[in-house]
Amino acid sequence: MLPSLSGPGALSEITHALLRWLGGWWRIVHLGAVLLVLALSPSSYTGANRAAIAREIYLGTMPILLWFTLLSSLVGLVLIRIVVVTAASYGLSQYALQMVVRVLVLELIPLTAAIFAALRIGLPDGRELARMRQRGELEALRGGGAEPLRTEVLPRVIAAAFAVLMLAAVASAVTLVLAYLSVHGFTAGGLARYTRAVGQVFSPAVALIFTIKTFLLSLAVSLIPMASALYDLPRGRSRTGAELQALVRLFLVMLLIEAASLVGNYY
Amino acid sequence: MNPPPPPPAAAPAPAHLEFKAALLLALLVLLLAGSVLYVMYARGVFEATQTLVLVADDSEGVTVGMDVTFSGFPIGRVRRIELGDDGAARIVVDVPRKDARWLRETSVFTLVRGLVGNVAIRAYSGILADPPLPDGAVRKVLVGDATAEIPQLVAATRELVRNVTALTSADSALNATLGNVQEATGRLKGRHGALGVLLGNDDDAKKLVAALERANALLARVDALAARVDGVVAKADAQVFGADGLAPEARAAIVQLNGMLGNARGTLKKADALLADAQAVAANARVASADLGALRAEVEASLRKVERLVDEINRKWPFARDAELRLR
Repeated sequence: MLPSLSGPGALSEITHALLRWLGGWWRIVHLGAVLLVLALSPSSYTGANRAAIAREIYLGTMPILLWFTLLSSLVGLVLIRIVVVTAASYGLSQYALQMVVRVLVLELIPLTAAIFAALRIGLPDGRELARMRQRGELEALRGGGAEPLRTEVLPRVIAAAFAVLMLAAVASAVTLVLAYLSVHGFTAGGLARYTRAVGQVFSPAVALIFTIKTFLLSLAVSLIPMASALYDLPRGRSRTGAELQALVRLFLVMLLIEAASLVGNYY
Repeated sequence: MNPPPPPPAAAPAPAHLEFKAALLLALLVLLLAGSVLYVMYARGVFEATQTLVLVADDSEGVTVGMDVTFSGFPIGRVRRIELGDDGAARIVVDVPRKDARWLRETSVFTLVRGLVGNVAIRAYSGILADPPLPDGAVRKVLVGDATAEIPQLVAATRELVRNVTALTSADSALNATLGNVQEATGRLKGRHGALGVLLGNDDDAKKLVAALERANALLARVDALAARVDGVVAKADAQVFGADGLAPEARAAIVQLNGMLGNARGTLKKADALLADAQAVAANARVASADLGALRAEVEASLRKVERLVDEINRKWPFARDAELRLR
């Protein structure tokens, strides 16, 4: 694969740091491209590899799905209540539903799902991978004729991306139902009006941005910790340092994605 | 090699892992597909629609996707906003066919801006029996701007306040009128009451009261007089219509007069016959007078002949020469 970039000593400190920074990002993009190719090639889903992917998906998503849904429902319920009551006090209750859908479904839930998946799946998997690499297990695998990128990295990446999408989808659906129940109560009478309000929020542009944002968040959560684990481990640095670097990088990317989506939605 | 790390994670791995993972995957796909379908349904993708174009001078605040309401119910949504060739904004609205029945040929559309800048497009159909609005109809939208009315309202209110102030000021006509009314009510409460109000001063009121009293006295005397006149009338009645009264005698006189009139009528008839005779005499006389004319003409002709004869004799006779000489 890529040789780890060791800066030429002749260059100044700043150039060196900049190059290293750029190199880090380049490796992430490169890894993403390679993994995308692997993910799209049918040979990655055969035999033992398919079992590994299934295991990672199930064991990664299942334990946190219930908890995340419960927590997001609780927080969502509180927020819905606040928004609805505040809007009603200003006489703007017709805009409350739109605001709930925008704030929760469009913005908060994908972001929290990504953070949750990153903390529970992406970063621990990255740490595990880094440990394996430290112990030379990946090298050994490669020596044994196996392809660690396909057998060890790809399942974890797919599992993390899947977890983000799954958490966001389930929590969004639950939140939509909760929003309906807290505004209209247990009756089907407001369904037409509610559907219309949801339809007004999800204009084609907003829906597209929402889809792209969620997809990019899932990519960031799955790729960045893996890339950091695979490449950013200069000798002599502590393991926590590398992990922290991955976390900072991940949050920076999430922030950028979120900001870009906000710009796209509201400007 | 790497078996040691997996065992701790894979130890609780349940059976049918792949199946469960596939279930999760299916759930995700189901959720995503459901969401997409729901949003498409909510956006009205599956509804048959007809187009309505609203033309407005100003489309500010109108957004794509906003509702057009009828009686508070959304019956359409804005699909596109474009600038027409004439510079007016064209708001293209999709109206689902099932809701299009509320829109009629005579429907009116308004674009109302609220105080906080929110915009609402409303439809009003006064006569629901009118023919339905055709597909692709173009209608002018009436713009009602709540904030645009405010300056006008303030100006009108200021005018009103000024008028009210002028009305209620100390030297206003209304105030003077009220003062007069107060004075009048004061007089009403006074000794002469409404009379004082009507006549203006107390002296005249006193005179009127005196006149009234005198009129009362006069009426009393007239009353006594009327009683006496009553007696006189009774006597006159007896004299005129009594047994020996005037009326029976008059009746007898009239009977006599009737007889006299009968005699007179007989006399007149005789005179009438007399007159007829006279008329016949006159007719004869007229005939006679016509003969007289002819007679007279004959007499005149005879006279002329006699005259000529005399003249002839005169010429022939000797004494007639004298006459001739005399003429020379």
